[in-house]
Amino acid sequence: MSQSTPKELTAAYMSWYRFSRNHAAVIGAVIVISVLVMTALAPWITPFPDHIGSVVDFRNRHAAPDAQNWFGTDKAGRDVFTRTIFGFRVSLMLVVGVLGISVPVGAVLGMSAGYFGGWTERIITGLTNVMLAIPPLVMALAIGNVLEPNLTNAMIAITLLWWTWHARLVYRITVSIASEDYIEAARLAGASHMHILFREILPNCVAVISVKTTLDAAFVILFGATLSFLGFGVKPPTPDLGSMVADGRQFLPEKWWEVLAPGFAIFYATLGFNLLGDGLRDMFDVED
Amino acid sequence: MKRLLDVQNLNISFSGYGRTQQVLHDISFCVNEGEQVSLIGETGSGKSVTAKAILGTLPANATIDSGSIGFEGMDLFNLSKPDRERLKGTAFSIIMQDPLSSFNPVFRIGTHLDDVMRHADRRQGIPDSAKGRKSRIFETLRKVQLSDPERIFNAWPFELSGGMRQRVLIALALLHQPQLLIADEPGTALDVTTQYEILRLIKSLVVEDGLSLLMITHNLGVVRQTADRVLVMQHGHMVEQGPLQRVFSAPESDYTKSLMAAVPPLYGPNVTNQPVSDKAPIITLTDVQKIYKKRGLFTQGEGHLAVDGINITVNEGEIFGLAGESGSGKTTVARMIMDLLEPTSGTVTVSGTPSENALRLSQIVYQNPGTSLNPKRSVQQILDVPLKHMGYDKPKRRARMEELLTLVRLPVNFLSKYPHELSGGQKQRVAIARALAAEPKIIVLDEPTSALDVSVQRTVMDLLLELRDSLGLTYVIISHDLSLMRNFCSRIAIMFKSRIVEAGTPEEVFRTAKHPYTRALISAIPVISDAEEAQKPTVTDEERSQFLVANTGS
Repeated sequence: MSQSTPKELTAAYMSWYRFSRNHAAVIGAVIVISVLVMTALAPWITPFPDHIGSVVDFRNRHAAPDAQNWFGTDKAGRDVFTRTIFGFRVSLMLVVGVLGISVPVGAVLGMSAGYFGGWTERIITGLTNVMLAIPPLVMALAIGNVLEPNLTNAMIAITLLWWTWHARLVYRITVSIASEDYIEAARLAGASHMHILFREILPNCVAVISVKTTLDAAFVILFGATLSFLGFGVKPPTPDLGSMVADGRQFLPEKWWEVLAPGFAIFYATLGFNLLGDGLRDMFDVED
Repeated sequence: MKRLLDVQNLNISFSGYGRTQQVLHDISFCVNEGEQVSLIGETGSGKSVTAKAILGTLPANATIDSGSIGFEGMDLFNLSKPDRERLKGTAFSIIMQDPLSSFNPVFRIGTHLDDVMRHADRRQGIPDSAKGRKSRIFETLRKVQLSDPERIFNAWPFELSGGMRQRVLIALALLHQPQLLIADEPGTALDVTTQYEILRLIKSLVVEDGLSLLMITHNLGVVRQTADRVLVMQHGHMVEQGPLQRVFSAPESDYTKSLMAAVPPLYGPNVTNQPVSDKAPIITLTDVQKIYKKRGLFTQGEGHLAVDGINITVNEGEIFGLAGESGSGKTTVARMIMDLLEPTSGTVTVSGTPSENALRLSQIVYQNPGTSLNPKRSVQQILDVPLKHMGYDKPKRRARMEELLTLVRLPVNFLSKYPHELSGGQKQRVAIARALAAEPKIIVLDEPTSALDVSVQRTVMDLLLELRDSLGLTYVIISHDLSLMRNFCSRIAIMFKSRIVEAGTPEEVFRTAKHPYTRALISAIPVISDAEEAQKPTVTDEERSQFLVANTGS
């Protein structure tokens, strides 16, 4: 038999090994990276970067896919491929905006509830439960109607509810960690509450939080597309996947490319984040 | 004598993370009919892998590279899968190690037993009704000295004590009268007196029914009680095998010798008596009582009496041992000394002046270094916490860390390591270094070595003794391991049901134990020589039943 070389197995290598064994996860990572690269390089890789503005080219409207317009053109003659790639920008902005606020807030509240206990715990878990009872779509539509139906308000609406999932998740982990000997040992060594929360407990939650956040990214993209499909998204003419599907809908089935391209883009990004999240879960060995 | 089990040149390797590692190297041994064989080895020696290979329960990433296992002349590796399955539970069966996690909490005990019996019946083609199976199960339960099978059968797992559950696990293994019983560290999760009862039971069952026994253990005392022949494994190699008498009286391999030497003696010339300190008292407990109040709307005032009437004086520089079994209240006492708990009545005085900047007078070293070190923090980060609190600046902290690691005999480059890169003994050293970093006067040791192998245990205890001498520390050690305390403590107190029933120097307690519980506790400790066995105090069966029935629960 082949005697193994006693090379040290580092934690990073073992994690990468588990991740790379999961082919779906690698595909997910490739998809997510491709979305990020396309979004970042959008002005340079798209054929008609000016088509994201209010360009009107009636001679070319509803053109079928060809060598010049890979995914055809829409009702104003704008290139669908260009607009789809730029549409990712709005989706990703929503992801960053919503998760960038709700994940830290949820994690801090969850950790505090689990660690301090008592009234802190009662108030935070109570609030979490109440917020979980509100359907996110209803909340978003309500805020969109009361304020103004735009992307910022949609983001606020989703963020207001999204932190609860993270708070609950982190709370559960913290409760089990808080009774570990190493937390008491840190306290006996003179560590402050801040140190215990952010240096002792948080590193043990990072794996779970990052898995959940990746899976959430897919949800937020879908959710954002739903809202803009319903007219609560960005203002035209800024390209946005959900509103592109809504706009193209009236020309179905003849002008199928106008719906298919943004629809597929939503599917592509969502799938990528979901597969990546599953892969991370394997890598961190997180039990759901 | 007929050969029952015949393992020949077994080589097994595990693969993982793209590489393979051989875990068993040319293992050969046999078990004859009616013979009791013990397989000794420490963590990672490959003893459990050997048992799994016999049972056919190797994990999916294990490969059998070469060798054979014969059972009554059949080659197990050449049997068809259904034939192999049929042997499970009937030709050989295993007694599970952990009575606490081996039952599914949502099924009654009877369901566990009946499931195993029904499936084994089906494999063997025995037709039997539910009623018939039940009567056979009752018979087996009586065999393992569970006198009320009806109650056990209908009980939920959580309703039974650890000792009773271990008995049910033995019954599970005996349902179909196997010829070979494999016992994987039976009772190690239980108290020493319960473990003693379990071993007596296994031994009597094996002798009465003429079974063969393959006992897997790391406890040499257990081996002496239960084995005719001994196999010693280290790092996947069989380093020694031979009859019990020969191996114990004249071990051949260096490894066996070091294992024997690491076992703390109870009696005889090798016992160490720690000098009693005559310095001023540093810890004084007077008439301490602790009641855990139940918090609830309707249960105001009710509570659980954890400790009662405790009087302890610990002098500076002393190693005070608090012995007792689980639930005896010893941890509560230790936490009150640590000022982590308030006594309900009585006073706890810890005198002495803390070192400059030190947060407190006492620090603790926990039982399980696996859970007392944060898995996400490196040794450097772990040691940084107490040092920061001592008010040291960065270069001073770094210098102190190196000093501490040298004190606990670890190389300085361990600072960048994470707990999962360390062995159990190394982790415990880091935990000791962390306690020392806060410059305490008193260190509470909560079963400091129970999670470690015997040979590692010895080195950790030697280190602790050295540190006490060089740093002038006082130790309070709580443990159920009396053999450890015999050699390590200057004075001990035995706790039983919330009270201290016996106290004195270890020498006095071991020679002239007055309380029957103390005598039962000492006599239950597995020792490795007949000379020591003969010096143990005697306990009458009446006394044993008086004090142990509540624990073993049969």
